[in-house]
Amino acid sequence: MTFDFRIFSIMLAFVALAIAPAADAQNRLGNTELNVPATLVAEAQQVKAGQSVTLAFVMEPKPTWHGYWENPGDAGIGMSFDWSLPAGVTSGKAQFQVPDRLLISGIMNYIYKGDYAVLVTLSLSNELRPGPLPISVKSEWLSCTDEICVPEQDELSITLQVVGKDAPVLLDKRFDGFRAALPRPLGSEAKFSASDDRFRLSIPLPASVGMDQPYFFILEDGIIDYAAPQKFNRDGDRLILETDARGDGLDTISGILKIGNHDGFLITATKGEVAMTGLPLAGDGAKNEAGASLLFFALGGAILGGLLLNLMPCVFPILSLKAISLAKAGGNEAEVRRDALAYTAGVVLVATALGAVLLGLRASGAAVGWAFQLQDPRIIFVLLALVTAIGLNLAGLFELPNINFGNKLTKKDGAAGSFWTGALAAFVATPCTGPFMAAALGATIILPPIAALVIFAGLGVGLALPFLLIAFVPAIRSRLPKPGPWLDSFRKIMAIPMFLTSIGLIWLLGRQIGTDALGLSLIFLLTVSLILWWFGGGQMKGLSRGALTSAAMVAALSAGIIALPGEEAMNDQKLAQSSNATLPSEAFSESRLSELRAADQPVFAYFTADWCITCKANEAAAIQRSETAEAFKSAKVAVLMGDWTRPDPEISRFLEKHGRAGVPLYLYYAPGEKPVILPQILTVATLTELVAKPV
Amino acid sequence: MRNLPTFAATAIAAIALASPLAAAQKNGAIAQDFKLTDVNGKTIQLSQFRGKTIVLEWHNPGCPFVAKHYSSGNMQATQKAARQQGAVWLTINSGAKGKQGHMTGPEAKALIAEQNIQSTNYLFDTKGVVGKAYGAKTTPHMYIIDGSGTLVYQGGIDDKPTANIADIKNARNHVLAALSEMKSGKKISVAQTRPYGCSVKYAS
Repeated sequence: MTFDFRIFSIMLAFVALAIAPAADAQNRLGNTELNVPATLVAEAQQVKAGQSVTLAFVMEPKPTWHGYWENPGDAGIGMSFDWSLPAGVTSGKAQFQVPDRLLISGIMNYIYKGDYAVLVTLSLSNELRPGPLPISVKSEWLSCTDEICVPEQDELSITLQVVGKDAPVLLDKRFDGFRAALPRPLGSEAKFSASDDRFRLSIPLPASVGMDQPYFFILEDGIIDYAAPQKFNRDGDRLILETDARGDGLDTISGILKIGNHDGFLITATKGEVAMTGLPLAGDGAKNEAGASLLFFALGGAILGGLLLNLMPCVFPILSLKAISLAKAGGNEAEVRRDALAYTAGVVLVATALGAVLLGLRASGAAVGWAFQLQDPRIIFVLLALVTAIGLNLAGLFELPNINFGNKLTKKDGAAGSFWTGALAAFVATPCTGPFMAAALGATIILPPIAALVIFAGLGVGLALPFLLIAFVPAIRSRLPKPGPWLDSFRKIMAIPMFLTSIGLIWLLGRQIGTDALGLSLIFLLTVSLILWWFGGGQMKGLSRGALTSAAMVAALSAGIIALPGEEAMNDQKLAQSSNATLPSEAFSESRLSELRAADQPVFAYFTADWCITCKANEAAAIQRSETAEAFKSAKVAVLMGDWTRPDPEISRFLEKHGRAGVPLYLYYAPGEKPVILPQILTVATLTELVAKPV
Repeated sequence: MRNLPTFAATAIAAIALASPLAAAQKNGAIAQDFKLTDVNGKTIQLSQFRGKTIVLEWHNPGCPFVAKHYSSGNMQATQKAARQQGAVWLTINSGAKGKQGHMTGPEAKALIAEQNIQSTNYLFDTKGVVGKAYGAKTTPHMYIIDGSGTLVYQGGIDDKPTANIADIKNARNHVLAALSEMKSGKKISVAQTRPYGCSVKYAS
């Protein structure tokens, strides 16, 4: 015991030793008594003369407490900074993350509910000599709960080290996260009007940009009534907001258009005429009213869409055979109904589960659409193997339910078999939903999650509806053809749509992973077919090869999954495709850029985002043009494209380094020379003249 | 005939009171009439002070921003100066029962004595009807109504939106500035400012 205790205390001492320098390195005078304590951290402890460093006030509100955005809204106060900086250091404007709103008894507060960070960039002059650089700042902010407010302040300090030009600099990875929650500047300018007590704002934003409960946080006070509901209209590539005005004393305003959790755009707007055109988005005021009718409309659409799915080539064979097997059950009413209900349960459950996964992914920030499971080539491959196997089964290559995956279960008799048939049908059916379901599924984006799930369930109900009818309306069942020898031919014919579906999946897979990987996956598919053939051959001779077959199938499928390219390769493929049109490009990375620079190759780097109208206009007018492509090709210009549609820390840092807070950014690197920043509005001539210059 | 404007004002007030949650009052409009009870349970009506300049002050003793102006004596000094000029000063508490700053009559009386509050009356607006009609958002939130019953100033007490007492001496006291401009017959140069402080703790 004593011995154990001694070891324990030695360990404790080591732990204490390890922690002590870490605490020291943080340089915090942070007061833990505060309700919203602040800590000052630097992105890099080592800084270089002539460069800049970003500091973060990391604010960690205690439970129930919140801090305020720059403009606090109706009440409250923003944050203040009183810097003590050594000579040669200047501080920039504080950058605030996308805020939340809190409406209490008609008083609107613009706040941060959870942890947040306020970023300030310090610029260092060329004159700074290596050595310690003490930074301190006195800051005041207001901390509130829903009930009470406490003004808080703290004096924070940190000591940075000025190091030589070639010294290594270690970046704090947390800053990637801090930056991801900053609003991104929307390159194009918005327009606003304030008259007759109505405030309107027209924001250029491509129609394809999705949003969840948009809200405009205005920076300037006295222009809009903060607590008034905001109504949004979509009119083509413009998003138009209308709310109550407070005044019209300004010619330019700015603010943040929030489009999702921690996701928003920095907007600047000048005064002009704005009309409320286009179609309304569900705003927060009208939401509940519109929500209910929208829900019924969407639910109807979902059931109808589900019904139509029964006719899809990928679903029809499964269903028609199941329907006939129901008819086969003949007289036993109870059994038929039980089967139909089990089938419905399987369909609805899988449709709802897919919907839940979709909503979950959307909430976690991934941009996904319906049929998202078909975006992963590995899932497509498994589906391909499954569909092909079902096709081979229908064609009569093998019999009996001894294969150890999906269709073993679906071929099982009774309720369990029906349930699995339903589950399979729903899973296979989703890729076919697109055109029929677009409207209903679109509604799920603006509906609350529970309502959205109801819609997905409605899709399942629609898919199962014919089945329920057959089971519960004997008149329909009696009209179904009686099973007989013709059923065998029918079954074989039904293999055709199954194989057609396989071809569709092969095409999809090929688009995603390219022909090389596709060839490989087809070899695995052939292996699967051969295994099944061998299995079927065994059946004819009365041999049971079930266990071996199962093992071989699992091996073939796993090999296929492992051999298939992952998501990265897929993105490369996508990128190559998107630029296949005219000017091909590679994905931007700093390492690739320096590689090309080292090889003395001229480089054109451009940064774009799907929500950036200026970017898209430039791409259409100047970049994706054959003249440009030819000129670049003959001058051997490498093209790098950075996509900032989703926040990407590497691109954010790169933009910042070039003095840009957002896209577009166009750079041209002539070999051995400093990069040229091109104008924000490009023409074909601007680009072709670049390379026409004698190098 | 002398009573006609009074009658008109009362009629307007009655209409306005019919929709108590109407939008905030605008400068230049007739200030909405109201009736509230004071610390002694006496009913005080805004229109009874017609002819005099009236200052409205939204108050919550628990709010640090209110405390800034009372513990420094700044608010009391402003109240005293206003009343010396012949103005009426109504301090209004719109804090709902159970919320921060809510007081009973005796509690308020004790506070008035303790802090030497110099306002003409201390009024309770527990249901928040008057506060919402005026669009009072913060404590403090200040309003000035001239002798004709017109709203002429609304906003903060001064231009230093902090909770720091040291900022008072360098701040422009918007209420005193407006009162002195009114006295000398000038137009109020700063008639609307951004109020600062805690949110008014209304009944939801």
